[in-house]
Amino acid sequence: MVRPVGIQTPAPAPSLEPALEAQRAELGAAPPRRRRIKPSTWAGLAFVAPLVIYVALLYAYPLYENVSMSLHRFTRATFVTGEAPFVGLDIYREVIGSPQFWPIVRQTATFVIVSLVFQYAIGLALAVFFRRGFPLSGLLRGLFLVPWLLPIIVSATTWQWMMDADSGIINRLLGVVGVDPVWWLNADHSLWAVTIANIWLGIPFNLVILYSGLQNVPADLYEAASLDGAGAWRQFWSITFPLLRPVTAITLLLGFVYTLKVVDIVWIMTMGTGTSQTLATWAYSMAFGKGTSAVIKYSQASAVGSILLLVALVMGFVYLFVQRRQED
Amino acid sequence: MITTRSTRLAKVAGVAAGAALVTTLAACSSDSPSGGDTSSAKLTTVTFWDPYPQYDDSSDWAKYVQACAPAGTTLKRTTAPTADLLNNLTTAVKEGNAPDVILLDNPAVPEAASSGLLAPASDVGIDTSGFDANLAGPGTVDDVTYGVPVGANTLGLYYNKDILDKAGVDPSTLTSWDGLNAALEKVTKAGSKGITFAGISGEEGVFQFLPWFWGSGANLKDPGSAQAAEAGQLVSDWIGKGYAPKSAATDNQSASWDLFLTGKYAFAENGSWFAKAASEQKFHAVMVPIPAKDNGAAPVPTGGEFALAPLQKKDSSAHYANAKQVIDCLVGKDNQVKTADALGYFAANKDLRQTQIASDKIWTPWAAAIESAQGRTSDLGAQYTVTSAAISTALQTSLNAAGDSGQVADAFKQAAQDAQG
Repeated sequence: MVRPVGIQTPAPAPSLEPALEAQRAELGAAPPRRRRIKPSTWAGLAFVAPLVIYVALLYAYPLYENVSMSLHRFTRATFVTGEAPFVGLDIYREVIGSPQFWPIVRQTATFVIVSLVFQYAIGLALAVFFRRGFPLSGLLRGLFLVPWLLPIIVSATTWQWMMDADSGIINRLLGVVGVDPVWWLNADHSLWAVTIANIWLGIPFNLVILYSGLQNVPADLYEAASLDGAGAWRQFWSITFPLLRPVTAITLLLGFVYTLKVVDIVWIMTMGTGTSQTLATWAYSMAFGKGTSAVIKYSQASAVGSILLLVALVMGFVYLFVQRRQED
Repeated sequence: MITTRSTRLAKVAGVAAGAALVTTLAACSSDSPSGGDTSSAKLTTVTFWDPYPQYDDSSDWAKYVQACAPAGTTLKRTTAPTADLLNNLTTAVKEGNAPDVILLDNPAVPEAASSGLLAPASDVGIDTSGFDANLAGPGTVDDVTYGVPVGANTLGLYYNKDILDKAGVDPSTLTSWDGLNAALEKVTKAGSKGITFAGISGEEGVFQFLPWFWGSGANLKDPGSAQAAEAGQLVSDWIGKGYAPKSAATDNQSASWDLFLTGKYAFAENGSWFAKAASEQKFHAVMVPIPAKDNGAAPVPTGGEFALAPLQKKDSSAHYANAKQVIDCLVGKDNQVKTADALGYFAANKDLRQTQIASDKIWTPWAAAIESAQGRTSDLGAQYTVTSAAISTALQTSLNAAGDSGQVADAFKQAAQDAQG
């Protein structure tokens, strides 16, 4: 993160001063030149224009439409007649007041938090394991990426088969160790079924990012630690984990946003029936009139979408805050 | 030296980029008016939407449809899954580029009509006479007829004769729920599996549930009735007693059919569109009408699509003239059976259907079923969508309850409330 204020205020580390001096010298001529040569400003604007138009057209406008849709009452007929009365926050009140809302929020929270904790823990364990480097470790690491590379339609369908209550392989294996078969995809258990599948899906992402983070931890720290008599456990908690903190923060943030908006794997496995309904699948089913919401509810869907967006945004600020604190 | 050159470069590049952008935008904006101006030329293309993505452009169906293009036009066919077609149509009508002809699943017709997406048949000039009343029913909403069925299908109860023979079940006893339950008990005791059906969330699961729902004497106007709960209890017990696979709660009709084709299941509730496949199995598959609770055949829902002309905002008469020709070609007296055969459906006109059924004996057991079939939307019109969603939720709860009668009863009480909207 570049902090321009750092130039005016006393820099935290005095050793940075020479570098900043040099930078300033390089940029020194820029401000007056910019004032003098107008055409380059125009050129600059022209260069920026594609990006600005891209952002406005493909980000800002859809976002505006989404929020506007959640404030107007849209029905299927609206598309033909164009009549969508403005209703203020009525739709938000309806959505939040509906009996499904809070259970779905709880399910979403469970889905996201349990997924994140396990994805991160398993991903980190594997990253540390592969850090050692042993014969065929590269190949093995590659194999761990398979869940990421497989089309979700394939992996979700496979999970659905494996979790079949009557003839699925998971229940067979449970039977071998004497556990009663579980009806994985029924209303009560479906949240756990989709969470397990989603954890499996998210491990490679965590593995890759954390593994590359580990490459930046200097090896001599470990050498020094082992000379001081620190065991593997102590090394992990005193060196690996603290030095991975910035990478951890970005992994968890991205993981959070990805998990919050997961629709595909849940939809293919259960169509969001029972406890596996999350805010994202609920919004999807209302927006397209599919699954548990056969009636199309454009406005309610965009209200849920806006709520999801807000949550993700809050997490983004939390990340920025955490990162800034780490830098100070 | 370097700076001046780079500035000049930047200037040139910037202007070029800007110019490119302007031309692109100009191209975009100039597109729409020119589309309106050249409208008479545009009508050399007839657009046609259907929900059969399984038939690609090289399929017989695609060629069959192409051949229906009015003289001097080419027909452009687009296909999307049933669940997406109505949404696509909604957007298309809004944008003013609706297809000339659409084949829409029959329970979606009232919603499309009441949302103003369709042109009345009388405006288009579609001949709506000669179709069986029960099959043409969904095409009429609030006394206005919008289109005609391209054919019809329905549900039946297939059984695996080899398994029934082995377990000593006489198929003639399959005329009531008790008879069917007794047969299920016998076949499962003999080591086979019971029955497959599709209980998947959404319209497809409700379509498969309706024969039991109607067979109990329940009415769509009152999904909270005791009879409705009895139907829920029937399928719930099948799961509870292990007669039906637990995956029925998530199976669609293809998945449940695949389970039946393993040859391990004695029964399968499934559609007439599988009749041909059923006749080609290693085991002997036979179809009987789905039994009602007490003696007799249950009313079954009609399936199949309607040929409709969506609302056109511009050049409507030219669009409708083309639509009329295409629809006449598909369901006119000469081609109706050909169209139905191409889709694995029954013709929707009784006389034509009789010649169709006479030509292939695998259709014989279906003749009575298709005649007594009911339109899903006949009672409720556009309100059906809400009721169907309520029943779907109750069905899911019932299947999950695995026989628990308290939960099933509550689920249908809830359905009555949900159906109020």
